[in-house]
Amino acid sequence: MTTATQSGGGISPGPSPTGLADVIDTILDKGLVIDAYVRVSLVGIELLTVDARVVIASVDTYLRFAEAVNRLDISQEKEGLPGLVGGMQESGAKHKTKGALEAAGEKLRDFAGDGAERRAASRRGSREY
Amino acid sequence: MATSSQNQQPTGLYVYGILPGDIELTSGISGVGDPPSEVRVVRAGDLAALVSEVDMSRPLGSPADLAAHKEILDASVADAPVLPMRFGAVLTSEDAVAHELLEEHRDELADALEELDGLAEYVVKGRYVERAILNEVLSENKVAARLRDQIRGVDNDATREARIQLGEIINNAITEKREQDTRALGKAMAETCEASLVRDPTHERDAVHVAFLVRVGQEKGIERVVKDLRAKWEGRVELRLLGPMAAYDFVGATEPGG
Repeated sequence: MTTATQSGGGISPGPSPTGLADVIDTILDKGLVIDAYVRVSLVGIELLTVDARVVIASVDTYLRFAEAVNRLDISQEKEGLPGLVGGMQESGAKHKTKGALEAAGEKLRDFAGDGAERRAASRRGSREY
Repeated sequence: MATSSQNQQPTGLYVYGILPGDIELTSGISGVGDPPSEVRVVRAGDLAALVSEVDMSRPLGSPADLAAHKEILDASVADAPVLPMRFGAVLTSEDAVAHELLEEHRDELADALEELDGLAEYVVKGRYVERAILNEVLSENKVAARLRDQIRGVDNDATREARIQLGEIINNAITEKREQDTRALGKAMAETCEASLVRDPTHERDAVHVAFLVRVGQEKGIERVVKDLRAKWEGRVELRLLGPMAAYDFVGATEPGG
């Protein structure tokens, strides 16, 4: 059986590593629901979902965009070190907002890397490709 | 139905997904819960469910739980069709899984499995690069450019209205660009995928967020499309390809007559 090994995804055109936010987007509100089952209460995901899933345009969103435009101007005007100042601010901010998710994502990746090696289920009487 | 010991622990059976009845499971796969139990198969006729025991008195939802659910389903998608359950499906007993879940919904589950045979889901996720997209909007929209000049260097409180107006214009412009770019992605992918579903944006700078159903063996095709778009949108959109995974976006609610 020729199953392409997709697990690593190290080279750029291949699949990207999956972070916790990606997992949440996929398995929490998608998938099969059958009326018969009992849902177990979920905890520990509230904080993580806020950043990952909610997009509601509000005055805050608008002010944030305006603020970003302001930052844009500042860095563009400072010739000599264009981009650098803005770039650092940007990546600094990014780290701040994504920190919690990334940290959790690291753990996930360890787990995922582990799991990808094991094939969960394979079909009896394997098909030829 | 194996060993129904009469212990009084409030345990349930967590259900990951439904597969054809002839699947075989590698042993030693850990499921959700802490400590996790081993994943096993409950069969009924030509259907099988992947399950593991969970302690009903403890909540689920840790990062490890979420990852386990997804990993277990995604790992089998290359070999057999899978109907993924939404995270958090727990039934009371093996009997309930076999009868209430598999037997009672046998026809619709079997049909759905047949439809998904040989298909896997991929998700393409793209986010606009902040600097690039703002410059793009400002260069295209005269009102936005004028508002920017108006607020530049002026005290925040004095320009609140102008800033809100500017932000709203940017937000609307990005929404429009998202729709355009999502259409472009769909068009580029049309030949390669069997079905597609646009997901809701999860971030205000989301450029595209679309799930695609792709024939197993066509991975190269989708990777090529993403690679080309990545080159086309270089510096403007950060594009990621996720998958192959179980077809979470393409299994609907199975309410009878719904």
